[in-house]
Amino acid sequence: MKKGNGSLAGVIVPVLSILLALLIGAVIMACLGANPATAMKSLVVGAFGSKPNIGTTLTKATPLIFTSLCACFAYKCGVFNLGGEGQFIIGSIAAIYVTLTTGITGVPAMILALIAGAVAGGFWGFIPGILKITRGQNEMIISIMFNYIATLLMGVVYTNWLREGSVPQTQAVPKESQLPRVITGMRFTWGFVIAVILGIVLYYFLYRTSGGFKLRAVGINPTAARFNGFPVRRYILASFIVSGAIAGLGGSAELLGTQFRLINGFASGYGFDGVAMALIGQLNPIATIFVALFFAALRAGATTMQAATGVPTSVSDIIQALVIVFTVAGMALTKLPEFTAFLQRRAHRREKEVNNA
Amino acid sequence: MSELLRIEHISKRFGDFYANRDIGLTIESGEIHTLLGENGAGKSTLMNILIGLYQPTEGKIFLRGKEVRIESPSQAVNLGIGMVHQHFMLVDAMTVFENIILGDRRAKGLFVDRDARRKEIEDLAGRYGFNVQLDRLITEISVGEQQRVEILKALYRGAELLILDEPTAALTDIEVEGLFEVMEKLKAEGKSIIFISHKMREVLHISDRITILRAGENVGTVERGELDGQGLANLMIGRELSESHYEKHEPDGRTVAVMDHISYHKDSKHNGLNDVTMKIHAGEIVGIAGVDGNGQTQLAQILTGVIAPEEGSLSLKDSRVSAFDPLEFIRSGTAHVPEDRNLQGLVSDMSIADNLVLKRTETEQFSRGHGLLLKRKAISSYAADMAEKYDIRCRSIEQDVRSLSGGNQQKVILAREMESGPDLLVVAHPTRGLDIGATRFVRDQMVAARDRGVGVLLISADFDEILEMSDRILVLFEGQIMGEYSGKNPPIDEISMAMTGK
Repeated sequence: MKKGNGSLAGVIVPVLSILLALLIGAVIMACLGANPATAMKSLVVGAFGSKPNIGTTLTKATPLIFTSLCACFAYKCGVFNLGGEGQFIIGSIAAIYVTLTTGITGVPAMILALIAGAVAGGFWGFIPGILKITRGQNEMIISIMFNYIATLLMGVVYTNWLREGSVPQTQAVPKESQLPRVITGMRFTWGFVIAVILGIVLYYFLYRTSGGFKLRAVGINPTAARFNGFPVRRYILASFIVSGAIAGLGGSAELLGTQFRLINGFASGYGFDGVAMALIGQLNPIATIFVALFFAALRAGATTMQAATGVPTSVSDIIQALVIVFTVAGMALTKLPEFTAFLQRRAHRREKEVNNA
Repeated sequence: MSELLRIEHISKRFGDFYANRDIGLTIESGEIHTLLGENGAGKSTLMNILIGLYQPTEGKIFLRGKEVRIESPSQAVNLGIGMVHQHFMLVDAMTVFENIILGDRRAKGLFVDRDARRKEIEDLAGRYGFNVQLDRLITEISVGEQQRVEILKALYRGAELLILDEPTAALTDIEVEGLFEVMEKLKAEGKSIIFISHKMREVLHISDRITILRAGENVGTVERGELDGQGLANLMIGRELSESHYEKHEPDGRTVAVMDHISYHKDSKHNGLNDVTMKIHAGEIVGIAGVDGNGQTQLAQILTGVIAPEEGSLSLKDSRVSAFDPLEFIRSGTAHVPEDRNLQGLVSDMSIADNLVLKRTETEQFSRGHGLLLKRKAISSYAADMAEKYDIRCRSIEQDVRSLSGGNQQKVILAREMESGPDLLVVAHPTRGLDIGATRFVRDQMVAARDRGVGVLLISADFDEILEMSDRILVLFEGQIMGEYSGKNPPIDEISMAMTGK
């Protein structure tokens, strides 16, 4: 792992960004006539104030963790998978077919549906990946376009193929095939546990194994990786497939644990949220989990805040957006030559002082 | 003939380094004046001064007898100085016509009087016998035609002095003849041309006068016919044989690599290889002499499996290579110190330790279970040993390689490649940009490898380095081997001629 200024900035910038965003959020709350302290407090209470509230936060965090890990993994290999949302949706479509049409129920159905979701998501990631390495197509454009295909395909599924009666939505996943809750009284399911374990596994893979080492090397400098005998294109394709599989797994977990049925608006926005969170988390899988939890808390707490103080939930959206803007701007700042020169000067001065002392 | 341009005592210093030192030069109206010099002799710096990209540290420039200061490229255009760069400055997605009028100062306001401009360009093209299709896109026309567009663009902007920077490098023989015809016509119209080249045949053919630059200084201006090719080459290279620090070896019989009639992009004179046959024996350093861009890069990349030749075959240690893939070459004992350290050799945003074990993370030494768990401690202690052994000066082995000096970066690569225990070591420009200490260290390591029985291929644009290091010298020109010479008392005259294509 990297030490020194690089990773220090990686912690300081997101933390400062969050504080600054909260500060501006407080100013907005004050402008709306609310007491910022009360509003912030209700936000926190809404997110963490009680067992059910914590459960809600963890539930909201689950899909975000999956999509941000999806973005994170591909980025680490130097490619941009902006298709997390499509892969997530395809995963959930695979899962709903397994639970509704195979006749399998219970734990076997869950396991099968999760696997099917991962495989389907992986396939959805495979397509932009293979087009990139064989035809040099821009993976960002293709993966974004595949989001639309997935969303529209889901539309066909819930309006036609698996439609339940007059309402444009699918039937629900049967009770016995739904992911069980981990702790009674809290809404979150084993999906959350899977997401966290996945984050840890990815961290281990990226930083503790030879494969992850090579994947990162390919991401940083594909030319040097090729000169040193790494199969660069194979790594890029594999990273796309795995990245898609992570999102697909997330899609099936979300369906089996939280939503239970496909309906208009399912998963909307998760893909790009994931990209932003992966960036704020500095592409570190563990950090990414915490970032997703933070965003989920802002979302979960917003309703309580609105009910208690009249501050609209959109203030929470503003805070989230500001965090993203500040982090991206902050990271760009730390890469400016002027800024690095400033840090180096300071480091030199400190070294001198130490030597003199 | 009258004097068009005169420069006096021009010097350009970068830090302590003089790229140009006290250069004087006159260009007459209606002459073709060649600037001859090796890479780094200061030709480009001088031209950049003339077109206003650099300001000289000292010295004066006179145009038609009047002193001028050229402070920007647009001012150079106004003064009638136009340059055709080696890499064309054309917008691919625009038509020839649009490229020519692009940035035209006369086009004031929002609208361009296209018809008038077109007429003007057509007249100009007609006058010089240019056959250009104004409405084709740049991407649709040949390289030779693109060059004519560049020349036309300069003429359209009123150039009286035209600088052509290695204009023949990218052209086919027929296109070169066409270019020479154009140059003669321009000359007949009273335009002056500065022609930059190091191809002796062309230089002797087209020049009225020739100025030779060496190490930033003007070492002589001669009239056409005053010196023959040998005389020019001697002036340009200007080397006396000095005693090498290293003892030269005769190789034993074993070969580590055999290239048999290898070709790659063979019709391209630049960056191609044409029917190259050569052997590298165990325990010798084979030096490739030649001006950059004559196929050296491709030679190194074929020998390390980065690119595949289009014709011919390659054998490593007597077994013919079937798949050109760097991994296969590494497995069969090839090590590579590539020409671009940061781009090709190192993953700069990873640590020194990571870069040292780059190719070996799956070995028993550095991981459990074929890479399932990296042995961090083993990697760290190995890296610390290497830093000691190869004199890599750093604060910590966990430091990013990017933050090291060029010399220390090169030592990281050298450590990694030497420790792989190669049979063949391909080294490209190993001391470029290095200080004396690091240069010495790198060279010592190469000789030590040779003495252990490694076959070393050394590619360098630094002729001194080739003379100093090589047991055998091959000259590469336009992708062809022009000659083979012993590294012991090498015939410098002959080699310098071969480097310029004769």
